[in-house]
Amino acid sequence: MPEPTSNPITGRTPVVIATLTILALLGFLGVTRLVNRFQEQQKALARHLYEQGLAEQQAGKPELALEHFRAALTYSRDNFQYQLSLARALRDSGRTDEAETYLISLWERAPQNGAVNLALGRLAARQKNLDKIIQYYHNAIYGVWDSNPEQNRLNAWFELIEVLLRLNARPQAQAELIALSANLPPNSEWLLRAADLFAQAQDYEHALAEYRRVLHLDRSNPRAAAGAGEAAFKLGRYRTAAHYLEAATRANLQDAQIAQMLEISNLVLQQDPFTRGISMEERNRRIRAVFDEAGQRLDTCMNSEGREPNPPGQVDPLPQLKAQWAQMKQRLIRLGRTGESGLADEVMDLVLQVEQQTASCSATPQDQVLLLLAENRAGVEQ
Amino acid sequence: MSTFLRIPPELSGATQEDKCDAADSVRTRPRFFVAATLGEERFFLILAVFIGIFAGLAVVCFRLAIDWTRIGLLGAAPEPHMLRVLLMPALGGLLVAVLVIHFFPQVRGSGVNQTKAALYIFNGRIPFRTAVGKFITAALAIGSGHSLGPEDPSLQIGASLAWAIGWRMKLSKEKVRLLAPVGAAAGLAAAFNAPISAVLFVIEEVIGRWSAGILGSVVLSAISSVVVVRWFLGAQPLFRIPPLAVFRPAELLAYAILGIIGGFAAVIFAKAIGYLRPRLLALPQWTQYLQPALAGLVIGLIGYLGAPQVMGAGYEYIDQAMHDQFTWKILAILAGLKILATTLSFVTGTPGGMFAPTLFIGAMLGGAVGGVERHFYPHLTGTTGTYALVGMGVLFAGFLRVPMTSVFMVVEVSGDYSIIVPVILANAFAYVISRSLQFIPIFDLLTRQDGLNLPSLEEQREESVLHIEDAMKPPPTPVLDSDETVQDAALQTQQTPSNLFLVRVNPTGWGSITGDLLQRYACEGKGEMTLGSLLPPQRLPYLHPDYPLEMALRYVHQTPLVPVVSRADLRKLEGVISSEDVLEKYRAAIE
Repeated sequence: MPEPTSNPITGRTPVVIATLTILALLGFLGVTRLVNRFQEQQKALARHLYEQGLAEQQAGKPELALEHFRAALTYSRDNFQYQLSLARALRDSGRTDEAETYLISLWERAPQNGAVNLALGRLAARQKNLDKIIQYYHNAIYGVWDSNPEQNRLNAWFELIEVLLRLNARPQAQAELIALSANLPPNSEWLLRAADLFAQAQDYEHALAEYRRVLHLDRSNPRAAAGAGEAAFKLGRYRTAAHYLEAATRANLQDAQIAQMLEISNLVLQQDPFTRGISMEERNRRIRAVFDEAGQRLDTCMNSEGREPNPPGQVDPLPQLKAQWAQMKQRLIRLGRTGESGLADEVMDLVLQVEQQTASCSATPQDQVLLLLAENRAGVEQ
Repeated sequence: MSTFLRIPPELSGATQEDKCDAADSVRTRPRFFVAATLGEERFFLILAVFIGIFAGLAVVCFRLAIDWTRIGLLGAAPEPHMLRVLLMPALGGLLVAVLVIHFFPQVRGSGVNQTKAALYIFNGRIPFRTAVGKFITAALAIGSGHSLGPEDPSLQIGASLAWAIGWRMKLSKEKVRLLAPVGAAAGLAAAFNAPISAVLFVIEEVIGRWSAGILGSVVLSAISSVVVVRWFLGAQPLFRIPPLAVFRPAELLAYAILGIIGGFAAVIFAKAIGYLRPRLLALPQWTQYLQPALAGLVIGLIGYLGAPQVMGAGYEYIDQAMHDQFTWKILAILAGLKILATTLSFVTGTPGGMFAPTLFIGAMLGGAVGGVERHFYPHLTGTTGTYALVGMGVLFAGFLRVPMTSVFMVVEVSGDYSIIVPVILANAFAYVISRSLQFIPIFDLLTRQDGLNLPSLEEQREESVLHIEDAMKPPPTPVLDSDETVQDAALQTQQTPSNLFLVRVNPTGWGSITGDLLQRYACEGKGEMTLGSLLPPQRLPYLHPDYPLEMALRYVHQTPLVPVVSRADLRKLEGVISSEDVLEKYRAAIE
């Protein structure tokens, strides 16, 4: 190799630079082809491993899925979907700290991403961290989704409510439900889901309204009819309950609970002394019948061997109630006479007391009817 | 040139002749050709950019080659087949040995000290064949699972490419020599995707001294290579850095402990290599065929028995360690096994680098120490990632002994300056321990084992530098003034034994006059004339007390006494220095 001379670059510079530039361009072209081929191969490998991971996850093997997702990420490190799947697998395999670290790093890259926020929300749900649950689920609800944004947002919203209910955060759940129901499209499936959640949150008024919205869209929906019947039943609106429960039964909904509620509703309606349109005689007869049944209940319970003993230092209320019942029996002769307009209410109060105090004794549907009649003297007819 | 770059001719540094030529060129030639008059300095900067581009392209190919080899030999599955894990490193080692012995004898080892030797001994020359050999053998070794990294080979490939590009350019010998570090910085920056660390490493480890002259070209080549690599492979780092925890000042103690443990680990690592390498080299020639294969077999066995993480460069496992995916016990075991595996791979002459294994060991050790500390003191805020990151810097400082690079590398890869205090503290402990127990840094040790003696920045740092103030004598009396008459000066000097007197010349210069000359002027009837009017126009050179002593050597032969004056007041004499004083001081320093 000849020794380079110390001759400075003079007239050759443009040629040298041009030559180097051409060589660099050729190098770029060659390396581009190589890199493209390499990246295609890597992507294919990553995709294959990812699919294996998904299959493992669906088969309930998050630990194996984890390995495949990790391997997929070694070939496609920046793939958001793979990273998210890895984080989910970490969460599903109980490695919540690791999952959180991973998800947080994803969240830092895309804080608006709905899927990442949903995964973080689910992680927070595992950790029972209410503030974070609400924060991340809200981010997911109002975040960006790559596909089916409307459906994903609503699903995230429903999921948030379910999580809140599971954690007994009923006020927050109700607030979310009210906001959600205002945003629901006229879709019986979504509305039914919201109605069920209202019922689960014991907000029967809203539940009934949602079930009615469903029935407005789909008259023959037996689940909506049953739900509406149950909600009305819980609200003490036995006529409405009976109407919907009969509709549900007519639609061949075989459910013992529905049947029982229907039976009770009908009994309540049959025995309700405050039903409008019945004669005074009939009203008094119903009151006497209810009163007699309460007396029998009292006797049965007082003589029952399996009755729970009273707490120490507390007087047994049943003998006292029996005495009250006996006194009321004397007064009951005056039922229906002028000047005794408050007697019916007094009788029903006593019936309520009896039913409440004998709750520990085994109850029949008839006892439940008495209790409901005594509790809901105004609303039974609705 | 000046028109082309829009720099006024008077600022361009060109001679008058150049300016006239340039003016002619502007009048008679197209504008592009005006650039033809680029000086060598500027051309070298442009060349550095091209070197960076070519080094970047080469490193991209090198990384693809390693990955393809790994997939080809070990498979793409998350858990490679155990038989492959056991056998492939050995087979790879055997093939590498054949290639090294028969085709590429210059490619043994990491490539850092070979590049340094090229700079200081072979005028920057690293044959292109070496780049080709390093590319093939290192890709084969790392891809088959040997515990080595791609950075040091990339450094050597870059340096070799730089020579291949630059030697035909008829550059001056000085510039040709500088091609090696320029290419080395480009190669390393491309491999590690971190230009600042690469530049610092090349300055600390390859050039071995701080030199502003080369900095521009090194930085340009490093940056252009990183741009090329990022163009093709993306800007993501080799491992992801988790969010770092903010530390409390009291936690510095925890990082200091990490520094101490890391320092000892670095010493064990360096001593193992320093002890085994010459002994294996001294074995009969035929064993050289088997040594990399046997090392590969042991590494394969480690992988087979449950620690495949130690195979290859291991960046993905650094990433996992940083993200808390191993317990501290596993981290500690991996650190120990990696020291063993890397030592075996390296001492058997398998081509590959120490950079990645050092980071791996540091990360695992850091994570393990952090894990133990947090086990006993759960209130510590540092995450495993934070300790792993500091651990990487610790091993860099302790094993490679590049303290500046070790700090900036951590800051550069993390992009977080908040970690700098723990890093500096831990690195300082590791460095001091390593310096005390392993006097010669690892790359210097390897160079000396190869029979070479190259300059080292560490030696330079610790060399005691003599200054003028160490050798100067107090100012002689009297010191004359140029406004004094000859008669007054003669009167002042007649009682002194010295015959040479310094004269303070207005406004700031210094001169000297002998007693004999004063007498002669007096006899010639010039007694009323001032000294200033009689002194020759040339002034004496002067020095400042903080100048290095070697600077005095430039002047002491011109005059018997060189004035040493204050920087604040050039008329204030701090002392004088003569050739005898300088020599006497050097003699004393040697004794």
